[in-house]
Amino acid sequence: MGFGQEEDSQRCLAAPVKSAVDKFQLLPAFLKVRGLVKQHIDSFNYFINHEMKKIMKANDLLVAHHDPNIYLRYTNIYVESPSVEVDRVSEELKPHFCRLSDRTYAAPVKVDIEYSKANLPNKVEYKRGVLIGRMPIMLRSSHCVLNGKDEEQLARLGECPLDPGGYFIIKGTEKVILIQEQLSKNRIIIDTDSKGRVTASVTSSTHETKSKTVLFMDKEKIYLQLNQFVKPIPILVIMKAMGMESDQEVVQMIGRDPRYGSLLLPSLQECASERIYTQQQALEYLDGKVVYSSSARTETRKESRAKSILLDVFLANVLVKEGKFRPKCIYTAVMLRRMMDAILNTDTFDDKDYVGNKRLELSGQLVSLLFEDLFKTMNSQALERLRRSYEQQNRSSPLEIFPYLTADIITQGLERAISTGNWDLKRFKMHRKGVSQVLSRLSFIGALGHMTRISPQFEKTRKVSGPRALQPSQWGMLCPCDTPEGEACGLTKNLALMTHVTTDEEEGPLVILCYSLGVQDLSSLSAEEIHTPGSYLVIFNGLILGKHEAPKRFANAMRSLRRSGKIGEFVSIYVNDKQHCVYVASDGGRVCRPLVIADKGVSRIKEHHMKELRDGLRTFDDFLRDGLVEYLDVNEENNALIALYEHELDNDESGAEKDDVKRSSITHIEIEPFTILGVVAGLIPYPHHNQSPRNTYQCAMGKQAMGNIAYNQLCRADTLLYLLVYPQRPLLTTKTIELVGYDKLGAGQNATVAVMSYSGYDIEDAIVMNKASLDRGFGRCIAMKRYTVVTESYGPDILDKIVRPRRNVDGSLPQNMQILDEDGLAAPGEIIRNNYVYVNKQTPVDRNISQRGDRKYTDAPVIYKGPEGETIVVDRVILCSDTNDKLTIKFITRHTRRPEVGDKFSSRHGQKGVCGTIVRQEDFPFSERGICPDLIMNPHGFPSRMTIGKMIELLGGKAGVSCGRFHYGSAFGEPSGHADKVEDISKTLVKHGFSYSGKDFLYSGITGYPLQAYIFMGPIYYQKLKHMVLDKIHARAKGPRVTLTRQPTEGRIRHGGLRLGEMERDCLIAYGASMLLFERLMLSSDPYQVQVCRKCGLLGYYNYKLKKSFCSMCKNGENIATMKLPYACKLLFQELQSMNVVPRLTLTEA
Amino acid sequence: MDPQQPEPVSYICGDCGAENTLKPGDVIQCRECGYRILYKKRTRRIVQYEAR
Repeated sequence: MGFGQEEDSQRCLAAPVKSAVDKFQLLPAFLKVRGLVKQHIDSFNYFINHEMKKIMKANDLLVAHHDPNIYLRYTNIYVESPSVEVDRVSEELKPHFCRLSDRTYAAPVKVDIEYSKANLPNKVEYKRGVLIGRMPIMLRSSHCVLNGKDEEQLARLGECPLDPGGYFIIKGTEKVILIQEQLSKNRIIIDTDSKGRVTASVTSSTHETKSKTVLFMDKEKIYLQLNQFVKPIPILVIMKAMGMESDQEVVQMIGRDPRYGSLLLPSLQECASERIYTQQQALEYLDGKVVYSSSARTETRKESRAKSILLDVFLANVLVKEGKFRPKCIYTAVMLRRMMDAILNTDTFDDKDYVGNKRLELSGQLVSLLFEDLFKTMNSQALERLRRSYEQQNRSSPLEIFPYLTADIITQGLERAISTGNWDLKRFKMHRKGVSQVLSRLSFIGALGHMTRISPQFEKTRKVSGPRALQPSQWGMLCPCDTPEGEACGLTKNLALMTHVTTDEEEGPLVILCYSLGVQDLSSLSAEEIHTPGSYLVIFNGLILGKHEAPKRFANAMRSLRRSGKIGEFVSIYVNDKQHCVYVASDGGRVCRPLVIADKGVSRIKEHHMKELRDGLRTFDDFLRDGLVEYLDVNEENNALIALYEHELDNDESGAEKDDVKRSSITHIEIEPFTILGVVAGLIPYPHHNQSPRNTYQCAMGKQAMGNIAYNQLCRADTLLYLLVYPQRPLLTTKTIELVGYDKLGAGQNATVAVMSYSGYDIEDAIVMNKASLDRGFGRCIAMKRYTVVTESYGPDILDKIVRPRRNVDGSLPQNMQILDEDGLAAPGEIIRNNYVYVNKQTPVDRNISQRGDRKYTDAPVIYKGPEGETIVVDRVILCSDTNDKLTIKFITRHTRRPEVGDKFSSRHGQKGVCGTIVRQEDFPFSERGICPDLIMNPHGFPSRMTIGKMIELLGGKAGVSCGRFHYGSAFGEPSGHADKVEDISKTLVKHGFSYSGKDFLYSGITGYPLQAYIFMGPIYYQKLKHMVLDKIHARAKGPRVTLTRQPTEGRIRHGGLRLGEMERDCLIAYGASMLLFERLMLSSDPYQVQVCRKCGLLGYYNYKLKKSFCSMCKNGENIATMKLPYACKLLFQELQSMNVVPRLTLTEA
Repeated sequence: MDPQQPEPVSYICGDCGAENTLKPGDVIQCRECGYRILYKKRTRRIVQYEAR
């Protein structure tokens, strides 16, 4: 990215003296290797290359139920490149082909197996490359054909080089698996429950089991709650059952502080009052409390049930070796200690909203769960079918497992889950909906924003403010601006620009390393020694490894190993002084971000490093390897002191630092402050000058802005695509815009805006637009819509067919068939009007298979329904066959629209407005230079919204056009030179003959006199939003009715009526406009004439033959009255009658 | 796509650009390169668009 020019021009501006190194270049280098959607791709790659093998290894042996000699063992599993099998020939798949022809972009998953040969149990057969299913492949992942391709190769594949990838293509639709937010697993969380009790809970999750262990304090006594026990168990009983028979040892394990002892005393007493002193007694007590499950084969070994629960379910994440409970005892003691700490000192509670306590589940992990479930299902089904065929007497197939492996289970299971978004995994007790979504392609930035979205863990209905509020720990990790308004506000979040989400890392070497760095193993410690003052517990991924006498030295040693690249760059080491613990984490799903390492406040990155980067001699990974930059996760950030700028520190050489921060204590420096914002918020110029909700509004609107979607936008076949005819790049850019490529795929135009009042059609944020600007193409857009026609097949040779249009007698085509070619399809370039036929389809009358000879067909033409008077053009006609070999024809139509009154526009500052009126340029104000605005905005939009950023954008834009340089407005960019200062902009303006304030001297276009005030005028980047009048306009006089109630239909697509609802009715009642009410509710809706029997009050009928009314209840026509009532009312009476309720009408004389 | 009609409509391959003719019931595939997406050719009739 050519920033060289920018840098030169910035130097010539009176930019701040760069005492510090400009670290900006690190950002593009970072985004090359990490960031934005890389976490999706990384996690998927990890799944394909490592996790899949682990899943296979864990379930590699299949043995027949009836005969242990019949077996099958998986020896290898691998994924090939994406392909599809057509007529037994494998064809390579390209992503764009899948998009166009509604296919799934999936690659075959193959296994190598060894298995026992049928009837020869001792002989082993080998087979390589057995297909077990097709795995949808994430775009740009390691197995995608786009991986490692350069711009030109991508273009040749029909792909947009700016497209981020990271999504799947399932049946032609692009699907994103959203990042899922969760509370971290295998960690102790101290909290209060709904009853206000202090709880310590651990959600254990291992490959074998998942469980939740909760300790809580009720009436000063501590209990354990576990689903496997019918009621809470006193904690001392658990300790005794695990072999801790001595109360003294328990107290020692928790800590010798007498306050702990006194808190534990009631629990000790309770245990003693139950007369439980030995392990045996405790286990017997527990056996009585075990939940009896009918399925379990208990009775015989009931004695060990409680013990096995303690072994396998209670704190399942703590591994038990050789049945020794000691690690679990210590873990429980640590939990108890943390609980008591929380009781003694309330600020040691864990905050569930703290980002460090959260894990983000990425697509790789989610697909891995799905795959594991399906893999197991496939294996168990294969065994089941083998057993069934064994039980059949006259079997012909040999007894092998291999033929029973079917690829469909995995293929279809994966496809179904990703396309519906429902993760229903009974095996893992997981039932989640909406995990995957259709990638929004409304705008380029919308798609990008979709990839960084994090879906919440809570239900949206929760009326609590805690999880919605901005957390200080979100700084730099999650975007503070980008969140939806309304019910999901604050729950749905977005990643910041530099965030990376970790994937799992190998644990074994790290554990060994910890021990060799002086961690004393737990098993060698007595209860007393665990909490020796000054020594800290070392906790690795939630497991207690042991203790360390010099925690600070240990942490520093680990960190220097990480900086030198000896251990993974995402391993975090966090010393918690409050809890006397050192937390080492290498698990996946933690959010982290890169920071520049500083020694006593002096950045390790020097100018020569940056020069090497600029010259291409260094990459971001080199910075990591040389220990200049490191990743910190949210927890480790607590051990760091991070400065925003280096040069800020230089100003106070004396030592009298700002904010009482000693310069020498600074450990890290931010790379760039604007990276705390996400991609979508990064588009806003000068966001730090705006009122904060305005930035949030813009984040929502930026995703609806029309513009360019991708370089391949005209080759795509989306159902609906909005494109701008003349998109521009913003005059006032930000660094984020350049980084993500918004300057190449913009969604808006630079409009010259005059902030003044005009015509009265500009109230309530309405915009007055210049007609000549619209003629020149301002805000002109193209709406492309896809219409798909499938020729249905009803059996062998019973198909829909598409035929040549039937001509009139004189050889001409009927009016509505004129656009059809000889093949019965409309041709590209033709103009379609309402009610025109675009596919002349015929469908068989008789769909019976048995029928022979010529079939009869009826016309089933596909007719275009659109607004009367509007015309659309067929842009492309695509023919392809879908997965079931049916002919699919896709018509992509194009409609060019110019802005009209009521279309929605917005600037980049959350200032939306509709077009209020379109005025001729002659009547528009103009300046002495002949500059005439494109649109006029009402100044009342400013005072209450406080969007100062918009004003600076106008100034900067104006200076930019006059001096010919794009100005910058990056967030917090003034000190580092990434945002131009107003002062400098004003100087530029003055130099080019404008007022420093951006105000111009204007003449009225109507009178020709000068306007009384100077007008604030200049270019502002305006977005056209997707909400357009043409798609919403609706009116009806008479129209269709619902057959059941005979009332007008509902909704625009059904050409429905406009409902006079309850509240409107109330108004009319209160006003007393009874006749109007009668007209609205009866005459204009569903009037109906009925015959009512005055005697029985039931409805009769009118016999048209005898011209006489008749009551079928009284069997006569004597007391019949004719009256009008709404048809819905009559329907209600009849429905009530059908339910054995008799409504009777009592009539009075009218 | 009437077989009796001698006037065939040709389609353009989405990959190599070769012209293909199709009969009803044919597999949608380019005869030159085997690509499975075909595009219809632009109309040869005169069309008049309104430029507003």
